[in-house]
Amino acid sequence: MSITTAPSAPGTVAAEHDLPIPYMQRTRDYYQALGFPAYRWSHYVDVPFTPLARPLSRARVALITTAAPFQPGLGDQGPGAPYNAGAKFYKVYSMPSDSEPDLRISHVGYDRKHTTAADPNTYLPLARLKEAVAAGRIGALTERVHGAPTNRSQRVTMETDVVELLHRCREDGADAVVLVPS
Amino acid sequence: MSLAARHLEANGLPTVIMGCAKDIVEHCGVPRFLFSDFPLGNSAGRPFDRESQAQTLELALRVLETAPAARTTVQSPLRWSEDASWKLDFNDLSKLTPEALAERRREFEVVKSVAKSKRESA
Repeated sequence: MSITTAPSAPGTVAAEHDLPIPYMQRTRDYYQALGFPAYRWSHYVDVPFTPLARPLSRARVALITTAAPFQPGLGDQGPGAPYNAGAKFYKVYSMPSDSEPDLRISHVGYDRKHTTAADPNTYLPLARLKEAVAAGRIGALTERVHGAPTNRSQRVTMETDVVELLHRCREDGADAVVLVPS
Repeated sequence: MSLAARHLEANGLPTVIMGCAKDIVEHCGVPRFLFSDFPLGNSAGRPFDRESQAQTLELALRVLETAPAARTTVQSPLRWSEDASWKLDFNDLSKLTPEALAERRREFEVVKSVAKSKRESA
């Protein structure tokens, strides 16, 4: 597969501000200006690593998303909806991967100025993963897609949510996991 | 999500994260990361652009297969737009008047209290 970029001429010099956005600094400055205390992002010395045990073409792959199931009656969750804390969820959920689950991202801080979340495939690569299975690129998808809560409390995330996600991935016989924060 | 990747990996499951917040994911420290320099919300590719989405997934799968060690980040060569000025807008304070700032503060208080009551009833 050829990987393309935007049609800039080779050797085009990038603008000074053309860097990955420094989200932590921007967010700190923003909430400080609003008068709220600084959030402390997770930060570790060590990073675990497990090599793939089998070729992807024979592997069962799980998908974990931070998108939330659409819940009628809980306010605007559609494309471009304002931040909707009412649509947040606080327990790991699972949905059959052979369906087309209606999952939205109105409950998280995506870039509402420059994107609208109108196409779920931008934050949930389920359809593309199914195509990869059909093409033999990966062996199979696990039977379920799992939803990870975006809880501000790192303690709850560590003690409850990630433990549950591991448990469900194991139940499903996953060989590898694709995680997509939105 | 980074914490989930770390926990899965520590327990024998290889992972790859597809994401747009490079500093936050790398600050945490994760095994494998396919970074798309796109507005938050587009971790899996550009809207209504199957080719972009397929390329993004394929890159993530290659990172999953070939990362030589932990903290491997690969940046997708795809660009959101020719002009990078969209990157200046996220949580940009410089364009906010004191009144707008006060309004944002009120909105955030509301959001926090909604989230709190949801969390407590969950």
